[in-house]
Amino acid sequence: MQIKHLPWTSLLLLVALLMAGCAAPVAPPSGEVAVEQPAATEGVVTLEFWGGWTGPDANTMQAIVDRYNAEHPNVRVNLSMQAWSPLFDAFIAASSAGSAPDILAMHPQELAQFVHLGLILPLDDIVANSEVIKPENYLENAWEGNKVNGKLYGIPLDLHMHGLFYNKAAFEKAGVTAPPSTPPLSRDEFMEMAKRLTIDANGKNAAEEGFDANNIVQYAINAHTNHHAFFQWWSLYNQLGGRLVSEDGKSCVMDLDKAAQAWQFLQDLVYVHKVAPQGQTDYPRDFLDGRTAMLVDGPWRIPQLEQAAAESGFQWGAAQYPNIFGGEFAVWGSGHNFTLPSKADPNKQAAAVAFLEWMAANSAEWAKSGQLPAFKAIMESEEFQQMEGRAPFIASMPYEKLFPATPKYNEIFASNAPTPMMVMAQRIMLEAADPATEVKTACEAISAILATP
Amino acid sequence: MRILAPTGFQARVAARKRIYWTPFLFLAPYLFLFVSLRLFPSLIGLAISFTNWSAVGVPQWVGLANYQALFVDPRFRDALTNTALFTAMAVPALVGLGLAFALFLNQPHRGRGLGRVAVFTPYVIMPTVVGVLWTWILEKDFGLLNVLLGRQIPWLVSPSWAMLGLVLAAVWSMVGYNTVLFLAGLQDIPTELYEAARIDGANAWRSFWSLTLPLLAPTAFLVLMLTIINTFQVFDLVYVMTSGGPGTSTLTMVQYVYTTAFQFFKFGYGSAVAMVMFVVLVIVALIQTRAYRRGLESIY
Repeated sequence: MQIKHLPWTSLLLLVALLMAGCAAPVAPPSGEVAVEQPAATEGVVTLEFWGGWTGPDANTMQAIVDRYNAEHPNVRVNLSMQAWSPLFDAFIAASSAGSAPDILAMHPQELAQFVHLGLILPLDDIVANSEVIKPENYLENAWEGNKVNGKLYGIPLDLHMHGLFYNKAAFEKAGVTAPPSTPPLSRDEFMEMAKRLTIDANGKNAAEEGFDANNIVQYAINAHTNHHAFFQWWSLYNQLGGRLVSEDGKSCVMDLDKAAQAWQFLQDLVYVHKVAPQGQTDYPRDFLDGRTAMLVDGPWRIPQLEQAAAESGFQWGAAQYPNIFGGEFAVWGSGHNFTLPSKADPNKQAAAVAFLEWMAANSAEWAKSGQLPAFKAIMESEEFQQMEGRAPFIASMPYEKLFPATPKYNEIFASNAPTPMMVMAQRIMLEAADPATEVKTACEAISAILATP
Repeated sequence: MRILAPTGFQARVAARKRIYWTPFLFLAPYLFLFVSLRLFPSLIGLAISFTNWSAVGVPQWVGLANYQALFVDPRFRDALTNTALFTAMAVPALVGLGLAFALFLNQPHRGRGLGRVAVFTPYVIMPTVVGVLWTWILEKDFGLLNVLLGRQIPWLVSPSWAMLGLVLAAVWSMVGYNTVLFLAGLQDIPTELYEAARIDGANAWRSFWSLTLPLLAPTAFLVLMLTIINTFQVFDLVYVMTSGGPGTSTLTMVQYVYTTAFQFFKFGYGSAVAMVMFVVLVIVALIQTRAYRRGLESIY
């Protein structure tokens, strides 16, 4: 088969394909939430809002946005959600293509790297005239945690930190008094509780004579083997007053003795006292199934516990994370915030600030997702204070310790990569490696990362 | 593959000095995709590997700095060793089992169709789904495999077991593809040869050894090559099942490329890792091609 014009036809086809390829716009992250967009009418401001919520909280956030859109016919907020890590990849790609979203949610500890990349705006001037978004309306550590080099880059939405959930039935059965919702347990109180709640196949607990450590049917507490392991370490290390990154942000200034001491406590729960299981993966399930009597986790777990209570009568309570080292209480924490990616459309910026002001005033709805509103008026409201299981978390808010703000956050702390923190945590908790050696290795690796420009 | 083309063909083409455009037309869609989605990005990747690009802003030329850093990067060494280990464990299983399944499913027995479907189905399941599935199967306390074995092997939560867990999942999901390739190879062997062998008094073992295996050599070479390349590039399963952990025990090359480029935003460094990987694969392919030619010469 020979057709004379074919070369030209194929060339044209090629050019057409090429042009089609070039013309394709950068798509927003593949949304699990695809909202029909109405035809753009005059005077309607459209705001692209990206967030990384994928659990039940995604529905909560969508409902809040839907309500805003219904109440504000002149603004259209398009919420796109996918998991945080791919969300940030999409954000970087979109930013370099000039189509960054108008509002991007993230966590305070992630701000510095996006500031370093020049992708988010300092907000001090933008919210200078806001009657709502100002320091006195927010919890101090939430507001301060959103500053990088003294400038505000994030508007806080909520806080979350570790707490201690417990199974009321397991405590009753073991004849142990449940921990108070506040203040935090001391080391002795906690260890006594932990031993009496670890029970072998013969019904003996770890404090009794003849306890069989090879046949444990109920452990006292979970032992994290994922990133939450170093979140717990961070709590304990801060209870000892430790620091991690130098003032100039260029080196690791970990106090190796204190760092090792904090890890030793966590490691001993598994390998010496045997009150926590080795190599655990599904903490919430083990807790709900009664395989552990206590669970260290954040307030985001509350909706699931409420559901279990409603469906199968699971009886739970919450307490503060224990104060193991007896000094000033400290607990790992983080939160969600809103950032405004670099874009110079003052109209959209004003609309975004108005939306975020409304969001702050209406964050009571968001509190149902378990998160603790950073906006004082909501946090202090009777309605929120009365919500089940929130009290210990509210009491922990002033003591929450964020990870240091560094542009190298992901390289040091990312949970789904072999970062120094993950490697240190897993070697100590899974392989029973010597904490003193591991903290030294980790600190050297962190220094090397921080020293690279 | 030049060796398989009839001699004289190329000479005749050269003599006529006439360019046929039609074949190029048929190739155009693929060539377009190849150039725009493979070749072009690869060249850009090569260029990026000499910069410190962070996906935004202007890349700065840093020369060979990224490659120099690779040499002293313990994570890169982990990734290289782990990838080699994964390949060394998975390839024999994938090729051996692929051949075994193909031989079995090539026999005229009942349930052959069902068997073929069963072996190939895992391959069409999305790797992310396979990853989630196998995370459950390999779960320490209630996982299917441990229940069957009656033991509590910490498959994915122990640095010494995690790699084997990944290999199991990979073999399960990928072996069907090799089986199909081997089946096609087996069906290409003319039945007359077997008849002739039988007449000459060869038993089943003898005809397998002297007929099936030599005639299957080109297929086996192709399968081996593709399997090595595929296992060397393992990513999706690792990403879903272990994220390279616990510790660094399952950190593979592509996982490391992803981590440095897309999680740490060091696209220059990530590209350098990818380039090293490319070179390693080219060397493996060259060695294999030479070995293959020599092997063919000794057979024919």
